[in-house]
Amino acid sequence: MATTTRVPTVDDLRLKLCYICREEELYDAPENPRRQWTHPCKCTLVAHEQCLLKWIQTAQATEGRAQNAMKCPQCGAAYELESKNPFILRLINVGNNILQSSGGMFTLFGTATVIGVVGTSIYVVCTGYGAWAMQKFIGKEMFNFLLGDDPSQWPWSAFINLPLLPFSLIVTRFQSTSSLPPIIPILLALPSTFSPAFNQKINDHWRLDKGVRKLTSYRPSSSPASTSSPRSWPPSPMIFGLFGIPLVQMVYQRLYSKVYFKVMGTLPPERVALLRNRDANGGAAGRNNVARMDIANGPFNLRVRANLRDDPHPAAHGEPDLLVGQDIPAPEEERVLQVNASTVGRKVAGALLTPAIASWMGTLLLRFSRHSVLLREFLAIRRPIGRVWYPPPVDVMNKDMHTLSAFKQMTVGFQMIARGLWGSSRTFLESDPVWWRNTVGLGLFIVVKDAVQLFHLWLTKRELESRKVKNRDFTGVDFRELDLIPSFLLGTRR
Amino acid sequence: MRHVEPSVPLKAPFTALTLPPPRFQLSRDSAANSEMTSISSRRLAKELKEIHSEGCPVGITLVKADDFATWWFTIEVMGESLYQNERYTLQFRFDSQYPISSPAVQFVVGEGMEAPIHPHVYSNGHICASILGNEWSPVLSVIAVCVTLQSMLASCKEKKPPTDNDRYVRTAPDNPKKTRFHYDDDTV
Repeated sequence: MATTTRVPTVDDLRLKLCYICREEELYDAPENPRRQWTHPCKCTLVAHEQCLLKWIQTAQATEGRAQNAMKCPQCGAAYELESKNPFILRLINVGNNILQSSGGMFTLFGTATVIGVVGTSIYVVCTGYGAWAMQKFIGKEMFNFLLGDDPSQWPWSAFINLPLLPFSLIVTRFQSTSSLPPIIPILLALPSTFSPAFNQKINDHWRLDKGVRKLTSYRPSSSPASTSSPRSWPPSPMIFGLFGIPLVQMVYQRLYSKVYFKVMGTLPPERVALLRNRDANGGAAGRNNVARMDIANGPFNLRVRANLRDDPHPAAHGEPDLLVGQDIPAPEEERVLQVNASTVGRKVAGALLTPAIASWMGTLLLRFSRHSVLLREFLAIRRPIGRVWYPPPVDVMNKDMHTLSAFKQMTVGFQMIARGLWGSSRTFLESDPVWWRNTVGLGLFIVVKDAVQLFHLWLTKRELESRKVKNRDFTGVDFRELDLIPSFLLGTRR
Repeated sequence: MRHVEPSVPLKAPFTALTLPPPRFQLSRDSAANSEMTSISSRRLAKELKEIHSEGCPVGITLVKADDFATWWFTIEVMGESLYQNERYTLQFRFDSQYPISSPAVQFVVGEGMEAPIHPHVYSNGHICASILGNEWSPVLSVIAVCVTLQSMLASCKEKKPPTDNDRYVRTAPDNPKKTRFHYDDDTV
C-alpha cells in the first residue's frame, strides 16, 4: 500500500519556539488571541510571523544588515515575502527614488551655482573698482592708453591685477608700518604690460608717413630737452614705488612720532608696539612682528593716555611699562581716554576712496601750479598731448614687428620689458605724469589728515585736563542732617 | 514592503510612507504589538532563566544581571592560548528593541580591569566584531556572543592592538553601536 506521507508544516508542531522572542507555544494550549507562526526556511527555526516581519523590516532599514535581512541566519535559505505590492506601488517607489536623487543633485548644483554667482559678482565689482582706481590714479589719458574703456581689449594680466586692487588698498591701510611693499608700486608697474591694442597703436603710428607723423605728434616743451634720453624727473614709477615710498614712509613715521610726542607727551600706540616688540625681540626681529601687531591695534580704538604725572617721560625703554596697546588695563595714576579715531568701516572706506582723493588732490595741485613755476617743475607738468607720443620700437625703425624673425622679436620684446621695468615706457615718461602729482597730493593729504587728527587728540587731552567740577552750596538740604562746624552755627565763621 | 526607506524623509505625496519601522504598527495584530515594547524584557527574562537553570559554558561566568538594561559577564580563554589565565569583563547593554536590535557589547575598562590586547579590541574596550554589527540576528543570544568573543580571543595569533587604536580611542563615542566599524579581516 502506498502510504501518502504528508509533509508537516509549522502548524503541526507540538511545541513551537520563536527564535526571535523565545516564546514557546504548545499545540494543545494555544495563545489567545492566536498568533500566526511561520517556518520560512529550510532548517528547523520557526518564528511568529509578526516577529519575523518586524525583524525583516528593521534589518532592511539598517545599512549593514540589509543584505542579511532576507536570509535565514542559520541555514541561509532565502525568505520569500508576499504582499500587496501592485505594479503601481513599485512604479511610484521608483519614481520617488528618482525624485530623491535628483533633489540631492539639485541641492549640490544649486549651492555651487549660488556660490559661483556671488563670486562672479564680487569679482566683477572688484574689477570695476580696480579700473576706476587705476583711472583715477594715473589719469584718464594714460588709462585710455593702457587699458581703455573696452574690457575686451585689456590684457589678461589686467583681469588679475584689477580685482586685487581693492584688497591691496585695504590691506595696506591696516598695515601702516608694515615692511610689505605698499600698493602704489603695483599700480605703477602696470605700464610694462603690453596689450595687443597697444602694439597695434604703435605699429599704426609708425606706418604713417614721416610728414604726417610730425603733425600728429607734437611735444610742447619749454626746454629743448632731447627726445632720445628719457627724462629723469619724475622718477620711474617702479623705482619710486620700490624705494621711494618705503623711504618716505619711514622718515614720515619718525617725524610723526616726534611731533606726537611733543604734543601729547606720549608716543603713538603703533610706535609703542613697535618699540615693545623691538625690546622684546632684541632688535631686528621686531619689524616682523609689527605687521601682526598693527592688524590687532590698527582698526580699533586709539587710546590717548592723559598722563597726570609731572615727571618727564622716560626714554623708550620705559614706555612699555607705562603705555600699552588696548589690552592691559590702566594703572591708577593714569586716566584712559578713548578716542575713536578709526573703526573698521572707516578704514576700509578710506582705503577704497584713496584713488579718488589722490586724483582730487592732483587736480588741486595742478590748479595751484599755474601760479608757481617751482611747483610746476617739481610736478613735471606737461601739457596733455592730444595724440600720445609713441615710443619708437627699440632698434627698429620703419619696420614692422612681424617681419622680424622670431628670435629678433623675442629680443626686442625682452628689451622693451627690461626698459619698462628699469625706466618705464617712454610714453609714460613723455606724457603728463598724472600719477606723480596724484602721489604727491595723496602724501600731502595724509600729512594734513594726521595733523588734524593730532590736533583733535591734543584738544581732547586739554579738555580732559582742564576739567573742573562745579561746586554748589547746600541749599535745599536740611541743616540738621549736616555735620557742620560749630562756628558756622554760631555765625562766626566769616 | 521591500522598498520601505523609513529613515529618509520623503516629499509631501509620500508622507504616508515616512513612518520609521518601530512605529509602524499593523492594526490587526494589536496583541502582539502590545508586547513589542516589552519584547526585550521577556526575551531577556527567558535568557536569564536559561542561564540560571543550565549554567554558563566553560570560561564564562555571569557577574551581574540585576535589570534588563546592563549585564556583566567575565570570559576566560581555556586551554593553550595567548590569553591563558587572563580574565576579562564584558558589559552588555540592551535597548527596548532587543533582540531585533543588537546589544552594545564592550570590555569593561577601569578599576583594575583592562581590555585584552587584540587586533579587534580597542583600548577603551570597544570591539570590532561582525556579529555585533552587520551579522547580528535574533537567533543569537548573550551566551552566543560571549562564546564567539571567547573563540575570537582564542584564535588570535599575535597580541597586538588595532592599527588605528589611538585615533579611535580619542574620538570614540560612548556607545560602540554608534561606530561604523569596517569588517575587513576575518582571519583573526
